Amino acid sequence: MEEIISQLKVKIIEALNLEEMTPESIDATTPLFGEEGLGLDSIDALEIIVLLEKNYGIRLANAAEGKKVFTNIESIARYVSEHRTK
Amino acid sequence: MRQRQGYGRFKAAWSTYRNHCLFGQVVIDRFAMWAGKRFQVEVEGSDHFNNLVGKKEGFIQMSAHIGNYELAGYTLCSDRKQFNALVYGGEKPSVVANRQKMFAANNINMIAVSPDMRHLFEINSALATGQIVSLPADRLLGSDKSIEADFLGAKALFPYGPFSIATMRSLEVIAVNVVKTGTKKYKIIITPLRYDTGAPRREQVIQLNTAFVSELERVVKMYPTQWYNFYEFWK
Repeated sequence: MEEIISQLKVKIIEALNLEEMTPESIDATTPLFGEEGLGLDSIDALEIIVLLEKNYGIRLANAAEGKKVFTNIESIARYVSEHRTK
Repeated sequence: MRQRQGYGRFKAAWSTYRNHCLFGQVVIDRFAMWAGKRFQVEVEGSDHFNNLVGKKEGFIQMSAHIGNYELAGYTLCSDRKQFNALVYGGEKPSVVANRQKMFAANNINMIAVSPDMRHLFEINSALATGQIVSLPADRLLGSDKSIEADFLGAKALFPYGPFSIATMRSLEVIAVNVVKTGTKKYKIIITPLRYDTGAPRREQVIQLNTAFVSELERVVKMYPTQWYNFYEFWK
């Protein structure tokens, strides 16, 4: 689980071009969306959906489920560890 | 627009009048289309569309607020690939449901921008299963992220999303513009938009945006009175 969290941080920073952030500066429990969190928006969410598909073979098609999965990096990591196909 | 086109006051006033008349006609034509009326449609660049439809991968159609884009949905149909159009989500559910019903016969699906990001999952599923997704690329819709580009000699903001979505999956992209050429005639102009899929992502996004803006300029210069963005477009 910790390993997936570390991987996700690096991949998300790279995919979303978050130059001002480092893996160490992101808390895995910080909300991804909204002003109190990392401030990501809908295009970033799609970027993460594609990232999960390419790297872990996960096809997230359900918006309601996606909302729960995309709470923070920890929740994404949990979903990846349970559903990854590669 | 007057400054951008270098028009004098009289020509600008006349063009604005023509612009409003044509927009009114296009709105009427749209209702006529919904009522079943068909127009004579010339398609320029249909090979590009047919070529992409024949491939396994999905592709993106980028549109702008020129002429009557909705006509493209009726004309560029395919049995092989569903056409998914991202639309403004502020319409009444009953209006959306009725249009959806009419479009279903043409293998068209409308994806409304939704505050819960539902539209992104739909766009993603459509592209992952090799379908066509149509995105308006000249107006910010859904996300505030933008790209600043030179358009007709001055800076303007274009949405980041469409260009980012296309490059995420290295998808092929065509620009589709539909212009009115006569009382009952329309012309669909299809142009492939190229970018280097081997370049860094940010560079790909900019290349694709530049290709889109360049095509938009070409079409707006040919049909300046059919440009329907009624707000302060330039920064």
